[in-house]
Amino acid sequence: MDPTTLQSTGETLKWLLTIAWLLPLFGFVVEIFGGWWGGRHSKSAAYLAVACIVTGFICSFSALITWGCSNHWAALQGHGDSHATESHDANSTEPSHQVDAHGEHAKDEHAKTDKHGHGETAHSESSDAEGHDTAAHPAAEIPRSQLIYTGLFYRLARFGSLDISLSYYIDSLTLVMFTMVTFIASCIHLFAIGYMADELTDNYEDHQVHTSHGHLHRPGRFYRFFAFLSLFSFSMLGLVLAGNIFQVFIFWELVGVCSYFLIGFYTERQSASNAANKAFIMNRVGDFGFLIGLMIIWTWFGTFQFGDVAVGKGGSVQPGLFSMARGSDGQLRLHIPESGVTEVVFKNKDNHIETDGNGEQRTIPYYLLIAAGLGVFGGCIGKSAQFPLQTWLPDAMEGPTPVSALVHSATMVAAGVYLVGRFYPMFTPEVLLAIAYTGCITLFLAATIAVVATDIKKVLAYSTISQLGYMMLGLGLGGWAAGLFHLITHAFFKSLMFLASGSVIHGCHHVQEMPQMGGLRRKMPFTAYTMLIGVIAISGLAVPYWTLWGEPIAFSGYHSKDAVVATALTFSKLNGHPLVFFIPLCGAGITAFYMFRLWFYTFAGKPRDHHVYDHAHESPWIIVLPLCVLSIFAMFCAFGGENGILYKLLLASEPIALANGSVPTADQVTAGLMNISLSSHEQIHANHAQAGLLALVVAFSGAFAAYVCYGARWINTSEIKVQFAGLPRFLVNMWGFDELYDIMFVRPSHVVAGWCSAFDRKVFDGFLHGCANAALKVSAWDRQFDETIVDGAVNAVGNWTNSLGRSLSVVQTGRMRNYVMFIAVGLLGVFAALIAFFPST
Amino acid sequence: MTGHQLLFSIFALTTCGGALAVVLSQNVVRMAFWLIISLGASAGLFFLLNADFVGTAQLLVYVGGTLVLLVFGVMLTASGPFSDFKTRPGETFMAGIVALSLLLMMVFTVCSVDWKKVVAATNQGVPISTAQSVATGFNDSEEGNTARPLGMALLGIRVDHGIDSGANANRIGYLLPFEIASMHLLVVLIGAAYLARAKRRVQEI
Amino acid sequence: MDLNCSLFVGAVLFVAGVVCMATKRNGIGVLMGVELVLNAANLNFVAFANYTRLGLDGQVFSLFVIVLAAAEAAVALAIALSFYNNHLTIDVDKANQLQG
Repeated sequence: MDPTTLQSTGETLKWLLTIAWLLPLFGFVVEIFGGWWGGRHSKSAAYLAVACIVTGFICSFSALITWGCSNHWAALQGHGDSHATESHDANSTEPSHQVDAHGEHAKDEHAKTDKHGHGETAHSESSDAEGHDTAAHPAAEIPRSQLIYTGLFYRLARFGSLDISLSYYIDSLTLVMFTMVTFIASCIHLFAIGYMADELTDNYEDHQVHTSHGHLHRPGRFYRFFAFLSLFSFSMLGLVLAGNIFQVFIFWELVGVCSYFLIGFYTERQSASNAANKAFIMNRVGDFGFLIGLMIIWTWFGTFQFGDVAVGKGGSVQPGLFSMARGSDGQLRLHIPESGVTEVVFKNKDNHIETDGNGEQRTIPYYLLIAAGLGVFGGCIGKSAQFPLQTWLPDAMEGPTPVSALVHSATMVAAGVYLVGRFYPMFTPEVLLAIAYTGCITLFLAATIAVVATDIKKVLAYSTISQLGYMMLGLGLGGWAAGLFHLITHAFFKSLMFLASGSVIHGCHHVQEMPQMGGLRRKMPFTAYTMLIGVIAISGLAVPYWTLWGEPIAFSGYHSKDAVVATALTFSKLNGHPLVFFIPLCGAGITAFYMFRLWFYTFAGKPRDHHVYDHAHESPWIIVLPLCVLSIFAMFCAFGGENGILYKLLLASEPIALANGSVPTADQVTAGLMNISLSSHEQIHANHAQAGLLALVVAFSGAFAAYVCYGARWINTSEIKVQFAGLPRFLVNMWGFDELYDIMFVRPSHVVAGWCSAFDRKVFDGFLHGCANAALKVSAWDRQFDETIVDGAVNAVGNWTNSLGRSLSVVQTGRMRNYVMFIAVGLLGVFAALIAFFPST
Repeated sequence: MTGHQLLFSIFALTTCGGALAVVLSQNVVRMAFWLIISLGASAGLFFLLNADFVGTAQLLVYVGGTLVLLVFGVMLTASGPFSDFKTRPGETFMAGIVALSLLLMMVFTVCSVDWKKVVAATNQGVPISTAQSVATGFNDSEEGNTARPLGMALLGIRVDHGIDSGANANRIGYLLPFEIASMHLLVVLIGAAYLARAKRRVQEI
Repeated sequence: MDLNCSLFVGAVLFVAGVVCMATKRNGIGVLMGVELVLNAANLNFVAFANYTRLGLDGQVFSLFVIVLAAAEAAVALAIALSFYNNHLTIDVDKANQLQG
């Protein structure tokens, strides 16, 4: 491909994604500043928000197509080929399958839009072109420059060699994330029009806020909700598009703020406001680590850019972080001095050693690279609610359900996973292991709590945490594409389930407790069966032995979870660490158990609370429609599994040299670093069938157990609760994390604050009061002095002068005769004075 | 006691007594009478002091003119035959005290000066002959004729300092000031006539 | 007889005039006091003219004073009449508008 085409493709992608990115911002500005215009009953804000995000989706999808066409879908084809050589499938069937998959995919996504035709023509063109253009080239030789587009939007500031800029980094991961985020956000915006309709009033009665005059009444905030949703969409897209880690941080904080606004949307509720605070503060804890990572990177690398960016007009290319750390061969180059710490040598874009002005090689100590990685991952822990900062996410369910669906399941919490994926080349094996174990602990922890939760949204929240743990686990174990694959599929089915639960809550008039539900499938069939699709998807159920077009009959969750479990199995086979395989395997079973428990509890059986049941109703079409659309995607978005289009697209952006796995190099062994091998695609594929089978068995047993306990009720669960008295309570208390944090942080800080306050009150206040009192006393004295002495003197002089004048005025009799007398007396006086003072004369 | 001294004593006593009588009498007409006595006697004193022209003018102008004017004033302003304006005794007493002190003060002052010495000092540098004549007083008292020297003095020629003395060379006489003063006085008199003219008085209620 | 005697007489006249001015409530009486004071001055002038080198200057001055006194008397009388016209009395104590 010639450079001109490359450049124009880059420009096209850039502008398409920029439009998609900035439109929600435009929407936000208009909605927040002009929202009052239409009045409290107007839905115009919602229509504007939907228009913005749908246009954003069209742009994003166009960008995805453009990207694909520009490299003639080499990502799908090429990797398919390379993969095919390792797979059991026949080479000849693979390409045709790809065409089918893509066609079907495009049809599903865009039956209603003209993109369908465009997509197919583009594809056929590309396959035609492929025939005589790239057919000669092996796929592995496709230059990465054709897959990744980086550049600069605007330079904000420049400190020495460090640029603070707005830049972009577009690869298939960015594009897939853009498409996913805009699509789900569109669905959720639509859903929210129906769900938030009760805010379209001048007098909203909040039944959960009790004031002295009964329930709280306030004006509806419909337009504000959509303004925040738009702002969130803008921030999330900016985060995905960001081309440098600092820009990521900016939008990271922006999504955090949006999350804060949206969790605290019912700000009058104490619980909502507390939850918003909790989410924000917990995220700050993680962001502290993020900041430390940023500082290390700033100090040692001197750049924040992910990719290589052309600087200035001269075309000199400044290497980005990934190039500096990994080079083009994807390996860390270690420098082990005789004494001192092991260092990582920076490389330039040509995979040579990067030198500074003095010709000396630029390095970073290995432990600092670990610290930077752990710091950035700390931010991801906070954002993705991983252990030990997981407690904010369940509380965040205080926000409206569309918020939970968009922000707290599909997108924002996935941003942590996305960043781990994006920042992957910077993580050393040690950090990756930490990520894996964090995910491992989190997924088990959250899954066990979800088993006993009774609030329908809380179950989903713990499920989200658990699934995020899966993603982290997959990423940490070297399954880069597997983790992100699960991220995308999870986004679809989890948002579907959240929306379905929103529909239930809407239909049951804001009842969220599952024990009050039951049998609702007869009242709201659409909700029930779309929810069932989501439940099957997340549980990873499939039809064993039978295949359709060579593919297992299964929903999206099966494929992605299988990929993660297969990675885990391979990793534990290579390196030991059996826990990282067994825990996710158990987790798969627990997941199936609690998800089916939720479904049976809510939709099956007999109504438990007839009041709720009698008033329940199916939601309006605007709520049901997004459910149906999302359920289609929850079923088919991962169609094809590891050979499917989605996985292939993601794989195109996989960090270099991950495909072939890695073993500890001689340098690493010499330096005494951790002895970790990462598995190659080939190894993973070899274990795929085994892992998939195990996971399927476990998932089925979990689902069966749920059916036994809650569907068919062969076993009375309350008896189990009685027998294991402590365990459910322990789980209901969320493993005591809230109490633990309460004891560890909240109470000590209360005590310290108490000390500080007492110190303040006793010492500072005492001192200040003393000073004030002293000043008061002094000024009282001063006043006394002023009033008596100074004023007294002045007044006395005045009075004296006055009285003197008055007494002297008596002399002014006005009688001539008296004046003559005075003259005479005066004359006498003058003579007397003369005689007295000049006696000699 | 020479005749001169006798006459001086008589005139002096009469002058002083008249003046005291003016002070002490309560009736205006009597006061005017006693004033005539006092002023007349003082004219005698002028004669004795070799100032015959001044004494004459005194008699003519004062006794003949001014006092008549005063008597006219008395008559014009008399509000009734029994109108008298009693002074308060306290005021009278105070006035007496002040008068006595004033008198004592002046007598003391006059006595404390050695007049001979003063006269001698003022005569220094003056030709002896003239000084002699001055020391004995300007003479020709027998002649009692000062009208002509006065007229000459008005013109600037001082007979008493010696006609030929150099002191006369640049002397300016009193004539011009006299004329200026007389013109002013004329204006004043016209003003007085204007003031004193009979006005149509608004009848008081 | 010497200068002192004349000066004593002048002093008595002066004091009498002053007392007259100070005690008489009749406006004409006050005028008479003024005449006495002026006369005392005349007497002193003449006495100094006679006994010192002042000579004719003193007499000329006394002439001035006489003329001046005559004019003054006329003016004063006019004032007195005007006062009388306004107050219907000649009591100078009634003229106390200058009282402070």
